[in-house]
Amino acid sequence: MKTRSITIHVNGEAYNLNVAVNRTLLQVLREDLGMPDTKYGCGTGECGACTVLLDGGRSILACLSLAALMDGARITTVAGLEVEGSLHPVQEAFVKEGAIQCGYCTPGMVMKSVSILAKNPHPTEEEIRRELEGNICRCTGYVKIVQAIQKAGDAMASTC
Amino acid sequence: MSSRILPEFDLLVPQSIPEAVEMLTKYQSKAAVMAGGTDLLVLMKAGLKSEYVLSLAEVPGLDYVIYDPVAGLRIGAMATLAQIVESGSVKEHYPALWQSAVVNGTPQTRNKATVVGNILRASPAGDCCVAALALGGKVVLQGAAGTREVDIDHFWVAYRTTARQAFEFAVEYRIPANAGKSAFKRMTRADQDLSKLNAAAWLNMSGNVCERARLAIGCVAPTTVRMKQAEEILKGKEITEGVLKEVEEAVKSEVTPIDDVRSSAWYRKEVSGILMRRTIQKACA
Repeated sequence: MKTRSITIHVNGEAYNLNVAVNRTLLQVLREDLGMPDTKYGCGTGECGACTVLLDGGRSILACLSLAALMDGARITTVAGLEVEGSLHPVQEAFVKEGAIQCGYCTPGMVMKSVSILAKNPHPTEEEIRRELEGNICRCTGYVKIVQAIQKAGDAMASTC
Repeated sequence: MSSRILPEFDLLVPQSIPEAVEMLTKYQSKAAVMAGGTDLLVLMKAGLKSEYVLSLAEVPGLDYVIYDPVAGLRIGAMATLAQIVESGSVKEHYPALWQSAVVNGTPQTRNKATVVGNILRASPAGDCCVAALALGGKVVLQGAAGTREVDIDHFWVAYRTTARQAFEFAVEYRIPANAGKSAFKRMTRADQDLSKLNAAAWLNMSGNVCERARLAIGCVAPTTVRMKQAEEILKGKEITEGVLKEVEEAVKSEVTPIDDVRSSAWYRKEVSGILMRRTIQKACA
Protein backbone atom coordinates (compact mmCIF):
# COMPACT_ATOMS: atom_id res chain seq x y z
CA MET A 1 0.00 0.00 0.00
CA LYS A 2 1.10 3.56 -0.69
CA THR A 3 -1.31 5.21 1.72
CA ARG A 4 -3.07 3.97 4.84
CA SER A 5 -6.10 5.15 6.77
CA ILE A 6 -5.34 5.52 10.45
CA THR A 7 -6.90 6.91 13.59
CA ILE A 8 -4.33 8.60 15.73
CA HIS A 9 -4.95 10.19 19.11
CA VAL A 10 -2.87 13.28 19.77
CA ASN A 11 -3.16 14.93 23.17
CA GLY A 12 -6.53 13.30 23.72
CA GLU A 13 -8.09 14.21 20.34
CA ALA A 14 -8.75 11.53 17.73
CA TYR A 15 -7.80 12.26 14.11
CA ASN A 16 -8.81 10.13 11.14
CA LEU A 17 -6.15 10.51 8.49
CA ASN A 18 -5.15 8.97 5.22
CA VAL A 19 -1.36 9.15 5.30
CA ALA A 20 1.29 8.37 2.71
CA VAL A 21 3.22 5.37 4.10
CA ASN A 22 6.58 7.10 3.79
CA ARG A 23 5.56 9.97 6.06
CA THR A 24 6.97 10.08 9.55
CA LEU A 25 4.92 10.80 12.65
CA LEU A 26 6.87 14.06 12.89
CA GLN A 27 5.79 15.20 9.41
CA VAL A 28 2.18 14.29 10.13
CA LEU A 29 2.17 16.17 13.45
CA ARG A 30 3.85 19.27 12.10
CA GLU A 31 2.60 19.47 8.52
CA ASP A 32 -0.71 17.60 8.34
CA LEU A 33 -2.06 18.41 11.79
CA GLY A 34 -0.46 21.85 12.09
CA MET A 35 1.13 21.08 15.45
CA PRO A 36 4.63 22.55 15.30
CA ASP A 37 5.36 22.06 19.02
CA THR A 38 7.32 18.85 18.30
CA LYS A 39 10.65 19.86 16.74
CA TYR A 40 12.70 18.57 13.85
CA GLY A 41 16.36 18.40 14.85
CA CYS A 42 18.53 15.81 13.12
CA GLY A 43 16.00 13.43 11.56
CA THR A 44 18.26 10.47 12.31
CA GLY A 45 17.55 9.62 15.94
CA GLU A 46 20.47 11.38 17.54
CA CYS A 47 19.22 14.64 19.05
CA GLY A 48 15.87 13.88 20.75
CA ALA A 49 14.18 17.13 19.68
CA CYS A 50 11.18 15.17 18.31
CA THR A 51 10.63 13.07 21.46
CA VAL A 52 6.95 12.33 22.13
CA LEU A 53 5.26 9.89 24.49
CA LEU A 54 3.56 6.77 23.17
CA ASP A 55 0.49 5.49 25.02
CA GLY A 56 1.17 7.74 27.97
CA GLY A 57 4.56 6.30 28.87
CA ARG A 58 7.40 5.39 26.58
CA SER A 59 9.44 8.11 24.93
CA ILE A 60 9.88 7.60 21.20
CA LEU A 61 11.27 9.62 18.32
CA ALA A 62 8.65 10.98 15.94
CA CYS A 63 11.28 11.33 13.18
CA LEU A 64 11.88 7.55 13.15
CA SER A 65 8.27 6.42 13.42
CA LEU A 66 6.09 5.79 10.40
CA ALA A 67 2.72 7.45 10.90
CA ALA A 68 1.08 4.63 8.93
CA LEU A 69 2.05 2.22 11.73
CA MET A 70 0.50 4.41 14.43
CA ASP A 71 -3.11 3.34 13.97
CA GLY A 72 -4.80 3.52 17.38
CA ALA A 73 -1.74 5.02 19.07
CA ARG A 74 -2.12 7.67 21.74
CA ILE A 75 0.56 10.32 21.34
CA THR A 76 1.35 13.03 23.86
CA THR A 77 3.31 16.07 22.70
CA VAL A 78 4.51 18.98 24.79
CA ALA A 79 1.35 20.96 23.96
CA GLY A 80 -0.70 18.23 25.59
CA LEU A 81 0.91 18.51 29.02
CA GLU A 82 -0.87 21.64 30.15
CA VAL A 83 -4.11 21.03 32.08
CA GLU A 84 -6.76 23.79 32.00
CA GLY A 85 -4.23 26.56 31.52
CA SER A 86 -1.77 25.28 34.15
CA LEU A 87 1.64 24.15 33.04
CA HIS A 88 2.82 20.65 33.92
CA PRO A 89 5.21 20.64 36.93
CA VAL A 90 8.09 19.78 34.58
CA GLN A 91 7.32 22.79 32.37
CA GLU A 92 6.92 24.95 35.48
CA ALA A 93 10.32 23.81 36.79
CA PHE A 94 12.04 24.42 33.42
CA VAL A 95 10.76 28.01 33.50
CA LYS A 96 11.60 28.61 37.16
CA GLU A 97 15.08 27.11 37.00
CA GLY A 98 15.92 28.84 33.72
CA ALA A 99 16.52 25.50 32.04
CA ILE A 100 15.80 27.07 28.65
CA GLN A 101 17.92 29.24 26.42
CA CYS A 102 17.07 29.13 22.74
CA GLY A 103 14.25 26.70 23.51
CA TYR A 104 14.57 24.49 20.45
CA CYS A 105 15.42 21.30 22.36
CA THR A 106 12.94 22.12 25.11
CA PRO A 107 9.84 20.26 23.85
CA GLY A 108 11.82 17.04 23.47
CA MET A 109 13.69 17.66 26.71
CA VAL A 110 10.42 18.21 28.60
CA MET A 111 8.80 15.07 27.16
CA LYS A 112 11.84 12.97 28.05
CA SER A 113 11.82 14.47 31.55
CA VAL A 114 8.16 13.54 32.02
CA SER A 115 8.96 9.95 31.06
CA ILE A 116 11.96 9.87 33.42
CA LEU A 117 9.87 11.05 36.38
CA ALA A 118 7.04 8.62 35.56
CA LYS A 119 9.47 5.73 36.04
CA ASN A 120 11.53 7.23 38.85
CA PRO A 121 10.05 10.15 40.87
CA HIS A 122 13.36 11.06 42.58
CA PRO A 123 16.19 10.38 40.14
CA THR A 124 19.78 11.16 41.06
CA GLU A 125 21.83 13.50 38.90
CA GLU A 126 23.61 10.51 37.40
CA GLU A 127 20.33 8.76 36.58
CA ILE A 128 18.99 11.91 34.93
CA ARG A 129 22.13 12.42 32.87
CA ARG A 130 22.04 8.79 31.69
CA GLU A 131 18.38 9.03 30.72
CA LEU A 132 18.92 12.36 28.95
CA GLU A 133 21.69 10.91 26.81
CA GLY A 134 19.48 11.04 23.72
CA ASN A 135 18.49 14.71 24.13
CA ILE A 136 21.03 17.24 22.97
CA CYS A 137 21.00 20.87 24.09
CA ARG A 138 23.57 23.21 22.60
CA CYS A 139 22.99 26.16 24.96
CA THR A 140 22.44 25.34 28.61
CA GLY A 141 25.16 22.86 29.48
CA TYR A 142 22.48 20.67 31.10
CA VAL A 143 23.09 21.77 34.73
CA LYS A 144 19.86 23.74 34.96
CA ILE A 145 17.95 21.05 33.09
CA VAL A 146 19.05 18.43 35.61
CA GLN A 147 18.10 20.74 38.47
CA ALA A 148 14.70 21.44 36.92
CA ILE A 149 13.93 17.74 36.63
CA GLN A 150 14.84 17.16 40.26
CA LYS A 151 12.71 20.13 41.38
CA ALA A 152 9.80 18.89 39.26
CA GLY A 153 10.10 15.45 40.84
CA ASP A 154 9.93 16.97 44.31
CA ALA A 155 6.99 19.19 43.33
CA MET A 156 5.07 16.25 41.84
CA ALA A 157 5.69 14.12 44.95
CA SER A 158 4.42 16.84 47.28
CA THR A 159 1.16 17.35 45.39
CA CYS A 160 0.05 13.70 45.48
CA MET B 1 17.95 12.37 -0.08
CA SER B 2 17.09 14.12 3.16
CA SER B 3 16.99 13.36 6.85
CA ARG B 4 13.50 14.89 6.82
CA ILE B 5 11.87 12.97 3.99
CA LEU B 6 11.82 9.24 3.29
CA PRO B 7 11.94 8.01 -0.30
CA GLU B 8 8.77 6.41 -1.66
CA PHE B 9 8.06 2.76 -1.00
CA ASP B 10 5.16 0.38 -0.69
CA LEU B 11 4.38 -0.66 2.88
CA LEU B 12 3.50 -4.25 3.72
CA VAL B 13 1.89 -4.77 7.13
CA PRO B 14 1.28 -8.48 7.67
CA GLN B 15 -1.04 -9.36 10.55
CA SER B 16 0.32 -12.85 11.19
CA ILE B 17 3.47 -14.94 10.71
CA PRO B 18 1.94 -16.92 7.79
CA GLU B 19 0.98 -13.66 6.08
CA ALA B 20 4.50 -12.28 6.57
CA VAL B 21 5.95 -15.47 5.09
CA GLU B 22 3.57 -15.30 2.13
CA MET B 23 4.54 -11.68 1.41
CA LEU B 24 8.25 -12.39 1.69
CA THR B 25 7.93 -15.42 -0.56
CA LYS B 26 6.33 -13.15 -3.13
CA TYR B 27 8.59 -10.09 -2.88
CA GLN B 28 11.85 -11.62 -1.61
CA SER B 29 14.79 -9.19 -1.91
CA LYS B 30 12.49 -6.40 -3.14
CA ALA B 31 11.28 -6.09 0.46
CA ALA B 32 13.27 -4.71 3.37
CA VAL B 33 12.11 -6.26 6.65
CA MET B 34 11.60 -3.69 9.40
CA ALA B 35 11.30 -4.31 13.15
CA GLY B 36 11.85 -1.15 15.21
CA GLY B 37 12.91 0.90 12.20
CA THR B 38 15.57 2.91 14.05
CA ASP B 39 18.20 1.64 11.66
CA LEU B 40 16.35 0.98 8.40
CA LEU B 41 14.62 4.38 8.31
CA VAL B 42 17.92 6.18 8.92
CA LEU B 43 19.51 4.18 6.09
CA MET B 44 16.58 5.02 3.81
CA LYS B 45 16.85 8.71 4.64
CA ALA B 46 20.52 8.41 3.69
CA GLY B 47 19.60 7.03 0.28
CA LEU B 48 18.92 3.30 0.66
CA LYS B 49 16.10 2.38 -1.72
CA SER B 50 13.70 -0.49 -1.25
CA GLU B 51 10.60 -1.03 -3.34
CA TYR B 52 8.77 -2.57 -0.37
CA VAL B 53 9.12 -2.23 3.39
CA LEU B 54 7.67 -5.15 5.33
CA SER B 55 6.91 -4.11 8.89
CA LEU B 56 6.64 -6.74 11.61
CA ALA B 57 4.98 -4.20 13.93
CA GLU B 58 1.50 -5.70 13.64
CA VAL B 59 2.42 -9.38 13.72
CA PRO B 60 1.20 -10.32 17.19
CA GLY B 61 3.30 -12.21 19.71
CA LEU B 62 6.85 -11.42 18.58
CA ASP B 63 7.81 -9.08 21.42
CA TYR B 64 8.83 -11.64 24.04
CA VAL B 65 11.91 -12.12 26.22
CA ILE B 66 11.48 -15.50 27.91
CA TYR B 67 13.99 -17.07 30.25
CA ASP B 68 13.87 -20.67 31.32
CA PRO B 69 16.64 -22.22 33.46
CA VAL B 70 16.69 -25.34 31.27
CA ALA B 71 15.80 -24.03 27.80
CA GLY B 72 17.68 -20.74 28.08
CA LEU B 73 16.70 -17.37 26.68
CA ARG B 74 14.35 -16.71 23.77
CA ILE B 75 14.20 -13.20 22.31
CA GLY B 76 11.39 -12.51 19.85
CA ALA B 77 11.93 -10.47 16.70
CA MET B 78 10.08 -7.45 18.08
CA ALA B 79 11.59 -7.51 21.60
CA THR B 80 13.22 -4.14 22.18
CA LEU B 81 16.52 -3.26 23.78
CA ALA B 82 14.49 -1.55 26.51
CA GLN B 83 12.86 -4.90 27.30
CA ILE B 84 16.32 -6.47 27.63
CA VAL B 85 17.40 -3.66 29.95
CA GLU B 86 14.27 -4.19 32.06
CA SER B 87 14.75 -7.97 32.27
CA GLY B 88 16.18 -9.12 35.60
CA SER B 89 16.83 -12.60 34.15
CA VAL B 90 18.97 -11.21 31.33
CA LYS B 91 20.91 -9.03 33.77
CA GLU B 92 21.54 -12.00 36.05
CA HIS B 93 22.18 -14.82 33.58
CA TYR B 94 23.46 -13.06 30.44
CA PRO B 95 25.28 -9.97 31.72
CA ALA B 96 27.17 -9.47 28.44
CA LEU B 97 23.88 -9.05 26.57
CA TRP B 98 22.39 -6.81 29.24
CA GLN B 99 25.49 -4.61 29.29
CA SER B 100 25.48 -4.35 25.50
CA ALA B 101 21.82 -3.29 25.45
CA VAL B 102 22.09 -0.70 28.20
CA VAL B 103 24.63 1.40 26.26
CA ASN B 104 23.17 0.80 22.82
CA GLY B 105 21.84 4.02 21.23
CA THR B 106 19.71 6.28 23.43
CA PRO B 107 16.71 5.65 25.72
CA GLN B 108 14.39 6.70 22.89
CA THR B 109 15.93 4.42 20.28
CA ARG B 110 16.09 1.55 22.81
CA ASN B 111 12.31 1.82 23.12
CA LYS B 112 12.01 0.78 19.47
CA ALA B 113 15.25 -0.89 18.38
CA THR B 114 15.34 -4.69 18.67
CA VAL B 115 18.05 -7.21 19.56
CA VAL B 116 17.17 -9.37 16.55
CA GLY B 117 17.30 -6.28 14.32
CA ASN B 118 20.77 -5.49 15.65
CA ILE B 119 21.90 -9.03 14.79
CA LEU B 120 20.25 -8.95 11.35
CA ARG B 121 21.89 -5.62 10.49
CA ALA B 122 25.16 -7.59 10.56
CA SER B 123 27.24 -4.51 11.24
CA PRO B 124 30.67 -5.34 12.68
CA ALA B 125 30.06 -2.50 15.16
CA GLY B 126 26.77 -3.86 16.58
CA ASP B 127 26.95 -3.96 20.37
CA CYS B 128 24.36 -6.74 20.74
CA CYS B 129 26.17 -8.67 17.98
CA VAL B 130 29.36 -9.01 19.95
CA ALA B 131 27.44 -10.11 23.07
CA ALA B 132 25.34 -12.57 21.04
CA LEU B 133 28.46 -14.12 19.52
CA ALA B 134 30.25 -14.51 22.87
CA LEU B 135 27.19 -16.04 24.53
CA GLY B 136 26.54 -18.31 21.54
CA GLY B 137 23.09 -19.05 20.21
CA LYS B 138 20.92 -19.58 17.19
CA VAL B 139 18.94 -17.33 14.88
CA VAL B 140 15.56 -18.89 14.12
CA LEU B 141 14.52 -18.19 10.53
CA GLN B 142 10.99 -18.68 9.25
CA GLY B 143 10.24 -19.45 5.64
CA ALA B 144 7.35 -21.03 3.74
CA ALA B 145 8.75 -24.50 4.43
CA GLY B 146 8.95 -23.92 8.19
CA THR B 147 11.73 -22.77 10.47
CA ARG B 148 15.44 -23.45 10.50
CA GLU B 149 18.10 -22.49 13.00
CA VAL B 150 21.43 -20.98 12.09
CA ASP B 151 24.22 -20.97 14.64
CA ILE B 152 25.43 -17.43 15.34
CA ASP B 153 28.96 -18.63 14.48
CA HIS B 154 27.81 -19.08 10.87
CA PHE B 155 25.18 -16.34 10.65
CA TRP B 156 27.26 -13.37 9.49
CA VAL B 157 28.81 -14.38 6.19
CA ALA B 158 30.27 -11.04 5.05
CA TYR B 159 29.99 -7.30 5.72
CA ARG B 160 26.28 -6.60 6.28
CA THR B 161 25.44 -10.02 4.86
CA THR B 162 23.75 -12.81 6.78
CA ALA B 163 22.73 -16.43 6.16
CA ARG B 164 19.09 -15.29 5.93
CA GLN B 165 17.53 -16.09 2.57
CA ALA B 166 15.42 -13.37 0.95
CA PHE B 167 12.23 -15.40 1.52
CA GLU B 168 12.87 -15.86 5.24
CA PHE B 169 12.56 -13.59 8.23
CA ALA B 170 14.15 -13.95 11.63
CA VAL B 171 11.58 -14.74 14.30
CA GLU B 172 13.83 -15.29 17.30
CA TYR B 173 17.32 -15.35 18.78
CA ARG B 174 17.86 -18.23 21.17
CA ILE B 175 20.69 -18.43 23.69
CA PRO B 176 21.27 -21.71 25.54
CA ALA B 177 21.09 -21.91 29.32
CA ASN B 178 24.58 -21.80 30.71
CA ALA B 179 26.32 -21.22 33.97
CA GLY B 180 29.10 -19.16 32.49
CA LYS B 181 30.22 -15.71 33.46
CA SER B 182 30.11 -12.99 30.83
CA ALA B 183 30.75 -9.31 30.24
CA PHE B 184 30.71 -6.67 27.53
CA LYS B 185 32.87 -3.58 27.08
CA ARG B 186 33.21 -1.01 24.35
CA MET B 187 35.09 2.12 23.39
CA THR B 188 33.41 5.24 22.04
CA ARG B 189 34.26 8.91 21.81
CA ALA B 190 31.03 9.99 23.51
CA ASP B 191 28.43 7.75 25.13
CA GLN B 192 25.83 7.53 22.38
CA ASP B 193 28.32 7.02 19.54
CA LEU B 194 28.65 3.82 17.62
CA SER B 195 31.49 1.76 19.04
CA LYS B 196 34.98 2.19 17.64
CA LEU B 197 35.77 -1.15 19.29
CA ASN B 198 33.62 -3.55 21.29
CA ALA B 199 34.20 -6.90 22.96
CA ALA B 200 32.37 -9.57 24.90
CA ALA B 201 33.64 -12.57 26.81
CA TRP B 202 31.91 -15.71 28.04
CA LEU B 203 33.79 -17.96 30.43
CA ASN B 204 32.81 -21.35 31.72
CA MET B 205 34.68 -21.57 35.02
CA SER B 206 35.39 -24.46 37.34
CA GLY B 207 36.68 -22.77 40.46
CA ASN B 208 39.54 -20.58 39.27
CA VAL B 209 40.10 -22.61 36.13
CA CYS B 210 38.58 -21.58 32.81
CA GLU B 211 37.19 -24.72 31.19
CA ARG B 212 36.01 -23.03 28.01
CA ALA B 213 35.81 -19.48 26.71
CA ARG B 214 34.12 -17.63 23.87
CA LEU B 215 35.69 -14.27 23.11
CA ALA B 216 34.10 -11.97 20.55
CA ILE B 217 35.29 -8.64 19.23
CA GLY B 218 33.73 -6.08 16.90
CA CYS B 219 34.90 -3.25 14.62
CA VAL B 220 38.05 -5.16 13.63
CA ALA B 221 36.87 -7.21 10.62
CA PRO B 222 33.98 -7.23 8.09
CA THR B 223 31.85 -9.02 10.71
CA THR B 224 31.98 -9.44 14.46
CA VAL B 225 34.51 -12.23 15.01
CA ARG B 226 35.66 -14.76 17.61
CA MET B 227 39.22 -14.73 18.88
CA LYS B 228 39.89 -18.46 18.72
CA GLN B 229 43.63 -18.39 19.47
CA ALA B 230 42.93 -16.39 22.61
CA GLU B 231 40.13 -18.79 23.59
CA GLU B 232 42.59 -21.71 23.32
CA ILE B 233 45.04 -19.90 25.58
CA LEU B 234 42.41 -19.61 28.32
CA LYS B 235 41.27 -23.23 28.07
CA GLY B 236 42.10 -25.26 31.18
CA LYS B 237 44.02 -22.42 32.78
CA GLU B 238 43.70 -20.28 35.82
CA ILE B 239 43.18 -16.68 34.74
CA THR B 240 46.39 -15.09 35.96
CA GLU B 241 48.09 -11.86 34.92
CA GLY B 242 50.48 -13.91 32.78
CA VAL B 243 47.66 -15.71 30.96
CA LEU B 244 45.85 -12.43 30.39
CA LYS B 245 49.02 -10.97 28.89
CA GLU B 246 49.14 -13.89 26.44
CA VAL B 247 45.47 -13.36 25.58
CA GLU B 248 46.15 -9.67 24.99
CA GLU B 249 48.99 -10.42 22.56
CA ALA B 250 46.97 -13.12 20.76
CA VAL B 251 43.99 -10.79 20.23
CA LYS B 252 46.24 -8.03 18.95
CA SER B 253 47.79 -10.38 16.39
CA GLU B 254 44.44 -11.93 15.37
CA VAL B 255 42.47 -8.75 14.52
CA THR B 256 42.49 -7.10 11.07
CA PRO B 257 40.93 -3.64 11.54
CA ILE B 258 40.65 -0.81 9.03
CA ASP B 259 40.81 2.99 9.19
CA ASP B 260 37.42 4.66 9.21
CA VAL B 261 35.61 7.73 10.53
CA ARG B 262 35.54 6.47 14.12
CA SER B 263 39.08 5.25 14.58
CA SER B 264 42.27 4.09 12.87
CA ALA B 265 43.44 0.56 12.14
CA TRP B 266 46.61 1.20 14.13
CA TYR B 267 44.76 2.36 17.25
CA ARG B 268 42.20 -0.44 17.11
CA LYS B 269 44.94 -3.05 16.86
CA GLU B 270 46.91 -1.45 19.69
CA VAL B 271 43.99 -1.44 22.14
CA SER B 272 42.07 -4.56 21.05
CA GLY B 273 44.03 -6.87 23.35
CA ILE B 274 43.71 -4.50 26.27
CA LEU B 275 39.95 -4.17 25.77
CA MET B 276 39.59 -7.97 25.67
CA ARG B 277 41.72 -8.38 28.82
CA ARG B 278 39.54 -5.85 30.65
CA THR B 279 36.37 -7.55 29.40
CA ILE B 280 37.59 -10.90 30.78
CA GLN B 281 38.46 -9.24 34.09
CA LYS B 282 35.02 -7.63 34.19
CA ALA B 283 33.38 -11.03 33.61
CA CYS B 284 35.39 -12.53 36.49
CA ALA B 285 34.79 -9.65 38.88
